[in-house]
Amino acid sequence: MSILRHWLRDAWWIVLGYIVILEAAMVAAILYWPKFRDNMPAIAKLVPFESLQRLMDSVEIAGYWPYFAVQQWFKGCSLFGLAAAAFLTSGIVARDVDQKTVEFLLSRPVSRSRILLTRWCAAVGVVIIPVYLTSITAIWISPAVDETLGWGDVLVSSTFMSLFLIMLVTFTAMVSAMSSHQMRAGIILIGVMLLNFAFYLIQEIDEISLFKTVDVFVFMKIQAGQFPWITTGSFIGATIIMLAIALRIYARRDF
Amino acid sequence: MIRTHDLAKSYRNTPVLRGVSIEVEPGTIHGFVGPNGAGKSTFLKCLVGVVHPDDGEVTIDGLDARRQSVAVRRRVGYAPAETSLYNRMKARELVTFSIRYHPKADVDRAVALLETLGVPPDRRVGALSHGMKRKLLLTQAIASNAPVMILDEPMEALDPEARRHMEGVLREECDKGRTIFLSSHDLFSTERLCSHVAFLHHGRILRNGTVTDMVAGLPGLLHVHLREERTERDLPEGPGFTWTGSGRNWKLQFSGPLEAALQQLGSLPLASVRDDGGNLEDLFDVLYERTVGGDA
Repeated sequence: MSILRHWLRDAWWIVLGYIVILEAAMVAAILYWPKFRDNMPAIAKLVPFESLQRLMDSVEIAGYWPYFAVQQWFKGCSLFGLAAAAFLTSGIVARDVDQKTVEFLLSRPVSRSRILLTRWCAAVGVVIIPVYLTSITAIWISPAVDETLGWGDVLVSSTFMSLFLIMLVTFTAMVSAMSSHQMRAGIILIGVMLLNFAFYLIQEIDEISLFKTVDVFVFMKIQAGQFPWITTGSFIGATIIMLAIALRIYARRDF
Repeated sequence: MIRTHDLAKSYRNTPVLRGVSIEVEPGTIHGFVGPNGAGKSTFLKCLVGVVHPDDGEVTIDGLDARRQSVAVRRRVGYAPAETSLYNRMKARELVTFSIRYHPKADVDRAVALLETLGVPPDRRVGALSHGMKRKLLLTQAIASNAPVMILDEPMEALDPEARRHMEGVLREECDKGRTIFLSSHDLFSTERLCSHVAFLHHGRILRNGTVTDMVAGLPGLLHVHLREERTERDLPEGPGFTWTGSGRNWKLQFSGPLEAALQQLGSLPLASVRDDGGNLEDLFDVLYERTVGGDA
């Protein structure tokens, strides 16, 4: 049994749960679209916070694409992807420390960087593959509600969303490399993201929220052919820096 | 085979290893003894790269353990003292996982050894007893077929029969040319098993050498039981003789050969004489009482 197989075997139920929930949430959202469209003015009145009302306005103006983007990427992938990243990646290093298996693992003839990169790659794969799977499913299901989604728009948006999630996975991996408790690493990620969501809901400071980089207006721009290159570059840059920090910490840490 | 020079390690400014220099010769079983907190486990972790030394050199099989740590670990079968393992794996899976990165590992031998030691290969690790987990750890170190074995407390939690069996297995491995370096609190087992031993205290090597040489320098101790009561004045004198006890039960500490001491006892009405001296336990007492003022 390899390090990869061992890690995936321990994580398979989280992976399965993540895929099922993401897929179910997406299918339910699409099937709910006709009802939502017909009752949009009434629903808009119930929505709290100015930021969320702006999302509703965009759906009212532009129709199915922003609705789908909110449901699939802003809500579905951000929320469930965040949870998956917290569950799967928080244990990348800290779980072995927590469960006292770290001495056994690190005394095998495998480098620490290989262990970390193997698990990080597995976590990245597990977190982003369902993003593509569910998005592609949406392309097939949308005709059931008399709507269409373009392959190009969906795949580009899924890639953008995946890069956001990879950044979260890497942040959690970095915290895990510093931590001796898996729970703590997961809680830090969720805490940081909750804080960011709180910032997003306050109009005066929503620009500093990470969620601002993946909200409906970004996906509307992507559909309009304006890909957010600078934001994407920032995601990739932050990912590389945090991964390098995680590798360095793990390599130098005593257990 | 294993060589360290001036190895030092501190945790938060508390020195744990203070310049440990030691050489373990190829094809020997070398014991590593010391009280709790002496730094034994830290030292062993430094050898396999789980802990990074602050200073000093570690070479195993001619390779620098700090710069070529993966290559070094390919040459080392390591069994940690900690028995927390991947509980969801079966015993067979754990040993396979453990040794798959060793170039000469023998999975069939690992499974056969597990069965011999009474560890069911298809039982989940989480369902194994502490002693069985210890056997599992030893099995993977042995079946790695690495030229060096480093074992941290290998006999801990083993029952006497398993202990004897394991000692036999380790001797066989040594006879095949493998080098074994093991830490232990069990001085009797260490004396039976090891050709060499090093004593560590407060991160320093107190003594290192062959067991035979170390024990030879110790005073002997006899438990003497008499058929009739005697006072200290009635007891014979001899080289380095110190009598303690009363009535029929006496302890005799002596220097020099055992035979000479026994000859001196010929005038006494002996019921029984038991040789209880000149072992590693005595040496441990002597070293830790004299050298460190009995704070061991």
